[in-house]
Amino acid sequence: MNTAALTGGTPKISIRDMTLVHVNEERRQSNVAVENLTLDIMENEFLCVVGPSGCGKSTLLSAIAGFMQPQTGTVTMNGERITKPGADRGVVFQEYALLPWKTVLDNVALGLKFRGVPRADREAKAMEYIAMARLTEAAKKYPHELSGGMRQRAAVARTLANTPEIMMMDEPFAAVDAQTRLSLQEELLRVWNDNPITVLFITHSVEEAVFLADRVAVLTPGPGKLREIVEIDIPRNARHWDTITSDPEFIALRDRVMALVRDQNG
Amino acid sequence: MTDSVAIHLRPRTLWISRAQRRGTAGILAVLLLWQISVWIIDLPPYFYPAPRDVLAAFGELIRNGILIEYLADSSWRYAVSVGTGLSLGIIFGLLIGLSGFWSRLLGSIIRFFYAIVEVAWIPLLVIWIGYGFPTILIAISYVVFFPVLYNTLTGVQTIQPVLINAVRTLGASRFQVLTSVILPAALPNIMTGLRVGAGFAFRGLIFAEMIAAGSGLGFLIFDGASTRQTDRVVVGMIMMGLLWLLMDRLLLRPIERATIERWGLVRAQGGES
Ligand SMILES: Nc1ncnc2c1ncn2[C@@H]1O[C@H](COP(=O)(O)OP(=O)(O)O)[C@@H](O)[C@H]1O
Ligand SMILES: [Mg+2]
Repeated sequence: MNTAALTGGTPKISIRDMTLVHVNEERRQSNVAVENLTLDIMENEFLCVVGPSGCGKSTLLSAIAGFMQPQTGTVTMNGERITKPGADRGVVFQEYALLPWKTVLDNVALGLKFRGVPRADREAKAMEYIAMARLTEAAKKYPHELSGGMRQRAAVARTLANTPEIMMMDEPFAAVDAQTRLSLQEELLRVWNDNPITVLFITHSVEEAVFLADRVAVLTPGPGKLREIVEIDIPRNARHWDTITSDPEFIALRDRVMALVRDQNG
Repeated sequence: MTDSVAIHLRPRTLWISRAQRRGTAGILAVLLLWQISVWIIDLPPYFYPAPRDVLAAFGELIRNGILIEYLADSSWRYAVSVGTGLSLGIIFGLLIGLSGFWSRLLGSIIRFFYAIVEVAWIPLLVIWIGYGFPTILIAISYVVFFPVLYNTLTGVQTIQPVLINAVRTLGASRFQVLTSVILPAALPNIMTGLRVGAGFAFRGLIFAEMIAAGSGLGFLIFDGASTRQTDRVVVGMIMMGLLWLLMDRLLLRPIERATIERWGLVRAQGGES
C-alpha cells in the first residue's frame, strides 16, 4: 500500500517556510498568496491539496512547476532548488491546455518531440498512453472535436507520456459534468495504479480529495498556510464510487476534512 | 453574399457549387448589362468600348505576347514584395510583442512611419533609386509590413499564457515555445494581416507600375489611357480582378482552410473574399 511506503519514504518535493507573493508591477501591488508553508510530497504518493477558492492552491503549484520563485523559504525537488519549469514536473491544467493546432497524437507526443525522439518512436510511445487513456479512436482528432472529458484524458496522457517525476493537476475535473467527473476520477486511479508516480492533485472538492488521495493537505483561506494533513488509509481496491459512499471510513474521513475546511471559513 | 448566414447551415460541398453557380450568373449579368449599355449609350469604342472590342484587344495582347509578359512581371514583383513585407512584419511583430526592450525601442518609430502612406514615398524613391523593381519592392513591402506587424502583435498579445506554460512543463526550449505555440497561435491574426496587406499591396502595385515601371498591369492601364486605347485599359482592369480572385482561391483560402479552420481556431467564413 502506498501509505505504508510513505512513512519510511523520501520526499520528492520539499517545501520549507515558503512565502509566495504575486507582484503586479503596473499597479504597484503585491499580493501574498501563500505564507510560511512547509510541506513534503513523498515519492509516489497521491497528495491532494484542498482549500477554498483563492487560498493559494494554484500559486503553490506555480512555484513547484517553476513558473514563479518563492519570496522567502525554499522549494526543492530531490534536494535541488527549483528555478524554472522542466519536463521532470508535468502539469495538467484545468483548461486542458492542449494545443488546438495539433491532433491528440501530436499533443501527446509533444514532450518527446521536444526531446528529439524520432517520429516513429515517439508516436509509438504516445499511442500506448493514448490507449491507456482510452482515446485510440480519437488519436487523429483535433482537441476542438473532443468532449471535455476526452480532452482532459488527453491532457493526462500527454503529461504521463513525458514520464515526469511528479504530475501536478490543478482542479483538472472542475470543468466537466458531474457524471463524467466520477468516471474520470476512477480512470485516473486506474492509470495511476499502473504507472506509479508522485501526484499533487489540487481541488476544492473535499469528496474528490478523500476519494483520490493517500494524504489530504488542508490549506487555510488566503494567504494559504497548512492547516492539517489527513491520512486517507482507505485501501486502494475500495476506491469505487458505487461502494465507497457507504463506507463508514470514507464518510468519517470526508466529514473530518470537511470540518477542517469549513471551520476556518465560518 | 448577403444570404451567407442561411447558407452556413448547409453542407460545404453543396454550398460551394451553389456559390459558384451564383458567381457565374453574376458575371454573365454584368456582361449583359455592359453590352446593353453600349447599345443605348452608343459612343465611339475608344471612349466606351463594348465587350467585343475588349475581347479583340485581349486577343491581340495575347498574340503579341505583351499581356503574358506584363502579367508575369506584375506577379513576380507582387510575390517578392509581399513575401518581403510579410516576413519583416512577422519578425518585427514577434520582436515587439515578445520583448519589452524592442517594444520601447521601436514602438513609436513604427507608429510614426505607419502614418506615412506608401504613395507619399514613391516619388521620393524614384528620385533616390530611379524607376524599376527596387522602388516597387520597397513601396509594396512597406504597404504589407504594417498590417502584418500590427496583427502579429495582436496575435502574440492574446496568446493564452497557459499554453506557453504547458509546453514549458513539457520541456520546450525558448525556440520550441516560439515554433510550437507562439507562431501557430498568432497565425489567424497573421493571416488577417496578410489579407489586408495583400489587398493594399495589390492597389499599390498598380499605382507604382503606373509611375515607376515600363511593364506590368499598371503600366498597361496607364499606357492604354494615355494613347486612348481604352479597350486595353479595360483588359488591364479585368486582369486585376481576375488575378486577385485567383490569389484568393489558390493561395489565401487554401492556407486558411489547411490551418486555422481545421484547427477550429475560427469558424469557416461565408463567401466574402
Ligand atoms: N497573477 C496574479 N496576480 C496577482 N494576484 C494573483 C495572481 N494569481 C493569483 N492571485 C491572487 O493570489 C491568491 C491565490 O490565488 P490562487 O493561487 O489562484 O488560488 P486558488 O487556486 O486556491 O483558487 C488570490 O488572492 C488571487 O487573487
Ligand atoms: Mg486555482
